[in-house]
Amino acid sequence: MLRPTTLALILAGGRVDELNVLTYYRPKSAVPFGGFGRVIDFALSNLMNSGIEQVGILSQYRSYSLINHIGTGAAWDMLGRYRHISILPPYLGSEKNDWYKGSADAIFKNLDYVEYHRPEEIFILSGDHIYRMDYQEMLDYHRHKDADLTIAFLRVPRDKAHRFGVAALNDEDGERGGRVEQYWEKPEEPESDWASLTVLCFKPEVLYTALRENQSSSSFEFGADIIPMLVRQNYRVYGYKFSGYWGYTKTVEEYWQSNMDLLGDAPKINLEEWGFRTNLDHRRIRDFQPLMTGEATSISNSLVYNGCIIEGEVKNSIIFPGVHVKKGATVENSVIFFNNKIHEGCRFNKVVADVNSSYGTNVVIGSESGSAAGNVTVMGWNNHVPRQTRIEEGATIYPNLTESRWPSIVTGGEVLR
Amino acid sequence: MSPAKDALVLLLAGGVGSRLNILVKRRAKPAVPFGGIYRIIDFSLSNVMNSGLARVGVLTQYKPLSLMDHLGSGEAWDLAGRSRGVKILPPRTGESDSDWYHGTADAVRRNIDYLYDNPANEVVVLSGDHIYQMDFDAMIEYHRSKKADITVGMMVVDKSEIHQFGAGIIDNHNRIVDWEEKPKEPRTNLASMGIYVFEYDYLLDALRRDKNAVDFGMHILPHGIANDNVFAYPFYGYWRDVGTIQSYWQANMDVIRPDSGIWPQKWEIHTNIEAEGMIADRAPAFFRSGSTVRSSLVSAGSVISGTVLNSVIAPGVVVEEGAVVKDSILFTDCVVKKNAVVDLCILDKRVTVGAGSVVGEGNGYNVANIVEPSHLYSGITLIGKGARLPDNMTVGRNCVIDSRVYESQFVSKTLGDGESLLLENS
Repeated sequence: MLRPTTLALILAGGRVDELNVLTYYRPKSAVPFGGFGRVIDFALSNLMNSGIEQVGILSQYRSYSLINHIGTGAAWDMLGRYRHISILPPYLGSEKNDWYKGSADAIFKNLDYVEYHRPEEIFILSGDHIYRMDYQEMLDYHRHKDADLTIAFLRVPRDKAHRFGVAALNDEDGERGGRVEQYWEKPEEPESDWASLTVLCFKPEVLYTALRENQSSSSFEFGADIIPMLVRQNYRVYGYKFSGYWGYTKTVEEYWQSNMDLLGDAPKINLEEWGFRTNLDHRRIRDFQPLMTGEATSISNSLVYNGCIIEGEVKNSIIFPGVHVKKGATVENSVIFFNNKIHEGCRFNKVVADVNSSYGTNVVIGSESGSAAGNVTVMGWNNHVPRQTRIEEGATIYPNLTESRWPSIVTGGEVLR
Repeated sequence: MSPAKDALVLLLAGGVGSRLNILVKRRAKPAVPFGGIYRIIDFSLSNVMNSGLARVGVLTQYKPLSLMDHLGSGEAWDLAGRSRGVKILPPRTGESDSDWYHGTADAVRRNIDYLYDNPANEVVVLSGDHIYQMDFDAMIEYHRSKKADITVGMMVVDKSEIHQFGAGIIDNHNRIVDWEEKPKEPRTNLASMGIYVFEYDYLLDALRRDKNAVDFGMHILPHGIANDNVFAYPFYGYWRDVGTIQSYWQANMDVIRPDSGIWPQKWEIHTNIEAEGMIADRAPAFFRSGSTVRSSLVSAGSVISGTVLNSVIAPGVVVEEGAVVKDSILFTDCVVKKNAVVDLCILDKRVTVGAGSVVGEGNGYNVANIVEPSHLYSGITLIGKGARLPDNMTVGRNCVIDSRVYESQFVSKTLGDGESLLLENS
């Protein structure tokens, strides 16, 4: 068999009302993660490492960052005779000329692309999650059960389950999986703790039929519409039980926590072990020289990529390429995206700072206690924060603020726009 | 006339560079790693790219595999495309004599068919083993404005160093009127950087004129100066021939200090991140709790738990708890185990230093290496690729440990100042 038979579709482009100012100009899947990559790199690396090399990405919200990031697909070795990544934006046609009305509608509108590849299995994944999974194992289970649809599930605390798609699974195959007996999308009072990771594997004909049927409805989502419909109609819907790390980062607090999971004595996320790959052409990070440190540098429990200059103190933090922390500045419990300049005397605690900003001397952000217990302070991109500015913990700073917008103190929890 | 960027580039990458000792045991000098993530040849190739030049022939002969792997398609320097390209020009068997190149001009002469296939107005001849930043486009414009047959890149060096170089005496118009190749008693402080712009036709004529003219500096230039138009193109800036262990070590240390004038990222130096062991698959450098890192260059993929001072660290290096690395250069994937000390050393790729070992011990900085006293005499100790030093080993100054020496092959736990551990038939 030379021609690959599995096609993957990544849902990457909805405007989700999550992650605050970090998603004002980019889809969540393109949010930076891990000190040099993007959230979608986890799904793409999983596909690469699972040998699934035909990929379509459905995107409609602020796609530029994502298009830029994917490039030719060569970064994930998905460039070749039978290997590709295609970005599938909404389009105008003689009949169809609408935005995607939901995840199911997005794929329905690209059925010509899907059918052209004559797949034997179709994976539908979210591009928003942080995890490592061998999709090949799930595919084996899907084939073994001759399932119409196989969904990956993970146990979550019952009190958190209302935020996810939840299923009642039988124990047909023990730890490996079982039949989906019932499915509820974001139920108010969950009756199970098996949460969907939004990793779906379809038999193509079943998917096509379901999508066409769904078009007469008024809602077009896999979780809310397609999966419940197939379960109701008694299709062979199976749950594949997953037990690894899963970072879903729906809130800034969760996003920050997932970043912290890269640190510590035994990090829960080990990028090299996971075979994590990103596109080093994006933002030209391949051309950055190694990190430079100065005479008074102190770095502890932190990840720092090439292209940084650290002359000050960095503790429990993730530092992306092109960040300059000057002498006498302290950054702790923070995530600092690309190309930020942090001047002398600045003190950051529990900050998530988006790209391309400069911080004048003695800017203090977050709790001064040094404790990571408080709220995250989020800084939008392209700001010049005047020197001596005090930004208290939990504040949100909008992107692109003009100089005159800046007060000398932004109080705790305030939103500065 | 075609734009200057149509000039053809010949990159001479065949030098043995034997004074770099075991660093060039299995690779050509241009392929020796530099500054954490680079190779020496990246500087010349990036200068070519940043000058807008697009056709490059790389002349290799000595241990070219590592170099060829690194060049790949040339895509890393934007040299892959319809009218752009890097061609590797290996030596080919000729009609007679030894088929190895007898000198720089001989190497170009033996690839004269490449010149025939790539007509241009000018040919830029470069060496692949220098660390510098230079705009060849400006040099070609200068060459044209002088209506020169040959233009030579030259810079002022200390008179005490001029004996290593070709030295030129110029008139008020920068015309070279006299030439001395490696003079013992210099009359000038203007040194050739081994960078030439030739008129295409002039170069062909010069190569065809006399088969015994095998070297640019010794033969072609003196003849040109006596008979034709040869000009000096003055260069001001950082330029190093990293041909000795001392100069190689110093140039690496210069990268740590931005005021030294070398700054690869600002110079837009590119490297091939896909080549084996490079940064494509490396996570950010991880500094564990309790680590200390000062005045150093640290590449992605390193895990630092101990102390790193004044050192250059390549991708994937592990410095374990309690270990100290000082004034040293560590190539990719070296491991310095618990409580070991590495002081004033160069460790080639995948070297392991056992727990509690001290490499670079004592004050015998002046005890030169016994086997190669002219290579190692300033205190630097060299460890070859893939060597594995046992726990609690002590290695002195100016020592050499061969590549792929394993724990069991160390007969003693001590290697004194100036001593070497070399494998036979290696």
